[in-house]
Amino acid sequence: MITFIVLAIALCAIALLYFVARSRGIHAAGQAERPVDLDAFRTLMDRDDEEFLRKKLSRSEFVHLKRRRVAVTVKYVGRIAKNSAIVLQKAENLRQDANAEVAQAAAQVIDMATQIRMQCMVAFAKLTAEYLFPSLQLTPATLEPTYQALREKVLRLGSLQPQNAAPLATAI
Amino acid sequence: MSLKVLLPQLWIAGMVLQALLAIVLLAKKTWKNFPVFTIYSIFGLMMGLSLYSLRFSKLAYNQVYWFTEVLGLLLGFGIFYEIFRTLLNSYPALRTLARSIFQWSALGLMLLGCIVFYSQSSGDHNPLMSTMLVVEEATRTIEVGLLVFLFLFASAFGLHWRQYLFGVALGFGIFISVELVAVSMRLHFGHTAEVAVNFARIIAFNLSLLTWLGYLLIPESTARNTDLPKLAQLEQWNHALTELIHQ
Repeated sequence: MITFIVLAIALCAIALLYFVARSRGIHAAGQAERPVDLDAFRTLMDRDDEEFLRKKLSRSEFVHLKRRRVAVTVKYVGRIAKNSAIVLQKAENLRQDANAEVAQAAAQVIDMATQIRMQCMVAFAKLTAEYLFPSLQLTPATLEPTYQALREKVLRLGSLQPQNAAPLATAI
Repeated sequence: MSLKVLLPQLWIAGMVLQALLAIVLLAKKTWKNFPVFTIYSIFGLMMGLSLYSLRFSKLAYNQVYWFTEVLGLLLGFGIFYEIFRTLLNSYPALRTLARSIFQWSALGLMLLGCIVFYSQSSGDHNPLMSTMLVVEEATRTIEVGLLVFLFLFASAFGLHWRQYLFGVALGFGIFISVELVAVSMRLHFGHTAEVAVNFARIIAFNLSLLTWLGYLLIPESTARNTDLPKLAQLEQWNHALTELIHQ
């Protein structure tokens, strides 16, 4: 029995290594930043809007619509998470910059992007709970201001290192 | 061509690759960032040469072989620590969380290692060989588990792997995963599986050497920017978001 468990662990590890190496190859081929429509994101998270729908629609219609809203919100959070990962990668390249101010700004961006990644994970967990139990209201409220702060920091980094970071700031 | 005939040739090919890796590691001054990995590679080459020269003297060969295995297992933990430390070096905000998750994972895996050690029995008649194989299986289980944890953690947080770091982790992962499969098969099927198991181990080790060499020698590609929107768009988003925050 234990042999099969150990073999399963080893084979899972081999499969994971294969997928990690493959996805790295795909990312290296071309990783594009995608813009996030924060206006639409805000609308999706609007609780007043949700309350209005809850009152106007039948329970089954509301559940159906709420799940669709949650699914779309998940896509936005996913895009924020992916953009943060791209920011992390690019800011890391600038962390060793000869200009101390650029290096410091890059370090701040890395910190902020890391925090966003953590919040994205919390947001994913909350949204999953809301999808399973549509009557719940667990808005990932802290994610949006933090993402905004990240933009500001990337923009600041862009002003110090315009050829590298400014396009990134506009992209996210 | 039978596996028995192929084995010595693959062994020699492995030593040539190990020599090349040692040259690359020293030429690129990789020991500064990966001292344990460099020691592991050079030690592996020296032990490989010793074992090859002792291949006709069974007793001496076995003593050197088990010494190499034990030291290789211990150095494996050192390599894992180096990968972990280098990966998280750029992310101070994650260090505390990563250490905490890592400690709990390590504890869980050590428990699993103990279960493997106590519940596993070998089909081998040699008690020393039997014990060593079980110890190796338990230790490799812990190492594979830690590496899986590291890859999953990095993936969850979108951490960027530097090319050489990724190469070291990938090569090490290939080697220890196949090693674990091979040791488990050897324990399960006994002496009859020895040739096939040795063949798989040498192939995996040579593949790891090629991975390490490849990732160390190929220059790192830089990310490119594509289809970037205008600054005005960012300002619009900022405005909308400020409105939202103050609502």
